[in-house]
Amino acid sequence: MAKRTIRIHINHEEMEYSVDNKITLLDLLRDVLNLTGTKKGCDMGECGACTVILDGKAVNSCLILAVDAEGSEVETIEGIREGSSLDPLQVSFIENGAVQCGFCTPGMIMSAKALLRRNPNPNSEEIKIALAGNLCRCGGYNMILKSIRSLIKE
Amino acid sequence: MITNKYDVIGKGLPRIDGLVKVTGEAKFVSDIKLPGILCGKILRSRLPHARILNINTSKAEHMLGVKAVITAKDTLKKTFCINMRMANNLLLQNEKVRYVGDQIAAVAAVDEEIALEALSLIEVDYEELPAFFDPFEAVIPGKPKIHKEENNIALSISRSFGDIEKGFNESNIVLEDEFYSPPVAHCCLEPRGCVASVDASGSLTVWATTQTPHPLREELSGVLGLPMIKIRVIQQFMGGGFGSRMGMDPIDGITCLLSLKTGKPVRIVNTRDEEFLSSRIRYPMWIWLKTGVKRNGRLHARQVKIITDNGAYSMEGDTVMGNALSKVAQLYNIPNAKYEGKLVYTNNVYGGACRGYGNPQITYAMEIQMDKIAEALNMDAAEIRLLNANEPDSVTISGLQIGSCGLKDCIREVVDASGWAQKRGRLSDHKSSVRRGIGMANMIHGGSGVKFFWGDNCNFSAATIKFNSDGTADVFTGSAELGQGSNTVLAMIAAEECGLMIEDINITNGDTLVTPPCRGAWASRQTFTAGLAVQLACKDAKRQLFEVASYLLEANQDDLVAKNRKIFVKGNPSKFIAIAEAASEAFFNSGVPIIGRGINDDPWSFKPDSKTGYGNINSAYAFATQAAEVEVDMETGCVTVLNMYCAHDLGRAINPLLAECQIEGGVLSMGIGYALTEKLIIENGEVKNRNFADYKILTMADICNVHTILVETVDSKGPFGAKGVGEPAMIPTAAAIANAIYDAVGVWVYDLPITPEKILKTINNKQRVLRR
Repeated sequence: MAKRTIRIHINHEEMEYSVDNKITLLDLLRDVLNLTGTKKGCDMGECGACTVILDGKAVNSCLILAVDAEGSEVETIEGIREGSSLDPLQVSFIENGAVQCGFCTPGMIMSAKALLRRNPNPNSEEIKIALAGNLCRCGGYNMILKSIRSLIKE
Repeated sequence: MITNKYDVIGKGLPRIDGLVKVTGEAKFVSDIKLPGILCGKILRSRLPHARILNINTSKAEHMLGVKAVITAKDTLKKTFCINMRMANNLLLQNEKVRYVGDQIAAVAAVDEEIALEALSLIEVDYEELPAFFDPFEAVIPGKPKIHKEENNIALSISRSFGDIEKGFNESNIVLEDEFYSPPVAHCCLEPRGCVASVDASGSLTVWATTQTPHPLREELSGVLGLPMIKIRVIQQFMGGGFGSRMGMDPIDGITCLLSLKTGKPVRIVNTRDEEFLSSRIRYPMWIWLKTGVKRNGRLHARQVKIITDNGAYSMEGDTVMGNALSKVAQLYNIPNAKYEGKLVYTNNVYGGACRGYGNPQITYAMEIQMDKIAEALNMDAAEIRLLNANEPDSVTISGLQIGSCGLKDCIREVVDASGWAQKRGRLSDHKSSVRRGIGMANMIHGGSGVKFFWGDNCNFSAATIKFNSDGTADVFTGSAELGQGSNTVLAMIAAEECGLMIEDINITNGDTLVTPPCRGAWASRQTFTAGLAVQLACKDAKRQLFEVASYLLEANQDDLVAKNRKIFVKGNPSKFIAIAEAASEAFFNSGVPIIGRGINDDPWSFKPDSKTGYGNINSAYAFATQAAEVEVDMETGCVTVLNMYCAHDLGRAINPLLAECQIEGGVLSMGIGYALTEKLIIENGEVKNRNFADYKILTMADICNVHTILVETVDSKGPFGAKGVGEPAMIPTAAAIANAIYDAVGVWVYDLPITPEKILKTINNKQRVLRR
C-alpha cells in the first residue's frame, strides 16, 4: 500500500495526512477525517451526493484522488456554517421544505453554495443546470429550487 | 378549504429533523463508526440458474485480514418472506442460484480491498441449468422448475363480483387493450446497507436501512434462531425507501451472521452496481384489460388478466398483484368486475414493494381506457370521470367501505386549475411539428395500511408518551421515518392533542429496544395508523393530567381543555394552570408521573374473504386526480412535461408543506420517470443498465411546475381527519401523461416507458385521429 503525505486545507484548517495513493477525496473525508456529511451514493460521479467545493468549484469528490487534492482548499457541508449560525442556504432549505430523506442535501447545498459564490443572481435555468448533477429521488427539486431562489436579491 | 381551528395541525412547519440533515450531522448506516468495524462483502452469482455443486472457501479464509467467510452451511437455512406461506428465499443459497445477483457466500475483512480480493478467491462449482427470463416461456408445461411449483406458477388468483358476462352483454361499447409495465428500480439515493454488532452476551445491535424495524427484528430472530430480546434493530436516518426496504433483505441477515461469527461489528453496504443488479424491483406486469360501458357513460363491466414476473424468489408478488387486480373493482362505481392473475417465477431479479404497490401499473391501463371510452362516446374525459366517480360513504362491489372521498372535488379542482376546458383538444397547432396536449388520470389507494401481512389481523401501531416534570414530553413510536416526514407529523399530532407546541415534543422512533411496536412504513400508513396511536397515547396522558389539574383548578375533569401549554376550563380560559405546573404537580406532589399509552389496532379493516376476495381492506382510502400538460416533438418523439396539476384527497393535511413535498416528489422524482424514461434492461437475467447514466431518473434540469391542490375531506377515522398521501403522489402520473400525449398527437403508447422511439413508431404506424 503506497502512501504519500499531503497537505490540504479542509474547512479552513490546514492539515497534513499520510494517505494511500489509491483513495479518493471522498474516502479521505469520510473514513480518515470522519466528516461523514458528504455522502457516497454511487462512487462514480453520477449522483452528486459527494459534492464538495474544491478551490471554489463544486466537484464530485468520488472522482478525485486524495493525493490530487494536495495543496487545495476543500469545503464540506460541515464547514459552511459560521460558528453556531447556519449558512443562509441551510436555513432556506429547512424553511422551504427542500429536505426529505436528507441524503442528497449536503451535496445539493454545496453545489448551490458554489453557484451563488460565482453567480450571486442566477436565474432558474442557471440554477437547474448548476444542480443537474445532484440527483434527488424524494423531493422533486422544486422546493430546492425555491430555497435557492429565495436567497437571491432581485 | 376548511377552516383551521387548530394551533399546530394544518401549519406548514419546517420538519423537526431538518437541522441535522442540512448540517450533515444526520448519521446514515454508512456513517456509523464503531471501533474495529469490519467490511463485509457478498459473493453474488453471475449465472441466472445453476445448481451449486461445491463452494471452496479455504483460500479466502486463509487470506491475511479476512476474519470470516460464510456460506449456507453457516446458516440455519431458514427461508424468509413477508408472507411466510410463500417463503423460499435464503440468506445464502444452498442448492441453487436462481438469478444474476443471488447471494452465495459472504466475507468479513479488515478493509474493503481485502474483502473484495477474498471474494475472488472463493471457488464455486456450478451445474448450469436452463433459465427463463420471460414468464410466458416459464409457464409452458414441461419446462424445468425454478422452485417446486408446476409450470413455475407461484400463485393464481381469480375473483369475480357481479356477473361479468352479463355485464359485457349489457354494455354498449366494449374495449380491450393490452399494456406492459417494465421492471423499474427504486433508485434510493442511499444504497442499501446494514451494520451489526454483537456484544459479549451474544446480543446483536443492528442499524439497518429498513422501513420496518420491528418486523425486521422478528425476521432476524427467525433466520438467526435468536430470541427477539437478543436483537435490537435501530432504524437509522435513511436515504429513501419507496418500498424497497420493507421487510428483511439478505444483507441484514448476512451482516448479523458475520458479526456473530467474528465477534466484531460488521458493515455491508451495496455498491451502486449491486444496488441495480440485485435489489428488488417494481414487479413487471402484462395487463389485459377489457371494459364495458353504457351509452350514457356509466362503466358497466371491467375485467382484467395480469401476468406478473415474480422473479427468482417470492417477496411481495402475491399482494402486489392482488392489489393491482383488485383495483378494477375499486376505482369508480362499477357493478360487474372480474380479475385473474398469475404470478410466475423467472430467473430475473425478484420484485418487492415499490411505491404504489401494483397500483401505478393497473392505473396506467385503467385510465388510458377511460380516455378511450370518453372518445368513443364523444364525452369529455373529465366529465366521464365525474360521472363514474366513487362517492363518500359508499361500498364498492368488492366490499370496500369508502368513508371520506373527495374524488369529484379532485377532478373539479384539476379542471379549474389547469384550464382544462380551454386546453383539451385545442392546444395543438396542426401546422407545427411540436404539438401540445393535456390529459388526466384518477386513482384510488389505501391510506391506512392492511391487515394481511405477517398474519391475518395485524395492522397495529403503538405509541407511548411520557411527560417530563417541566411539561415537555417524550413520545415513543415504532414507526419508521424514511424522509417522508412522519416524525414531524407525529410530533404535530402529539402537540395538538396535548395542547403543547411542536418544540415541546421529542420523538423517538424505530428503535425496537425503546419503542413500542408498529408494523412500519408501507402502504402510506404512518400518518393514519401511527398518528392514531400517538393520538391515543396523548389522550391517555391528557386524562391523567386533567386528573391532577381538576383538583388544582377545582373543576370537573370533563370540563377541561388543553391548549397553548395551558389547561383551563372550557369557556373560561382565565381560569388556567400551565401544563408544566400540572406535570410538576404529578411528579413531585402526587408522586405519579404522567405516562400515556396508545394502541391503534385498526378495528375497521379486514383481510378479504379467502374465497371471494370480498372485504374492506383499508380503514380509509385516498383519492387523487392529476393532469399533465405536455409538448411532443413529432420529429424526434421527445416528450416534455410542461405542467402538472395534482389534486389529492388526503383527508387533512397535518402539515401542508410536507404533503406538497410528497406530491411534488412523487410526480417529479418518480412519476414522470416511470412514464417516460425508466426501465431496467435485463438480458439473460442480468440487469445491464446499472448506473445513473444508463438508468435515467429526472434531474433538476428536467423538471416542470407542479400545481398542488390539497383536498381535505376530513376522514372520520384518521387522526384529525388525515389519510395517507405518500404513494398516491405518483400513481396516476404516467396515465395522465399518456392521455396528454394522445391529446397532443393522437397516439397511445401501451407499454412503458413512453420513449421517443415508441412515439415515432406509433405515429408512423397508426392513423391520426381527427380533431373535432
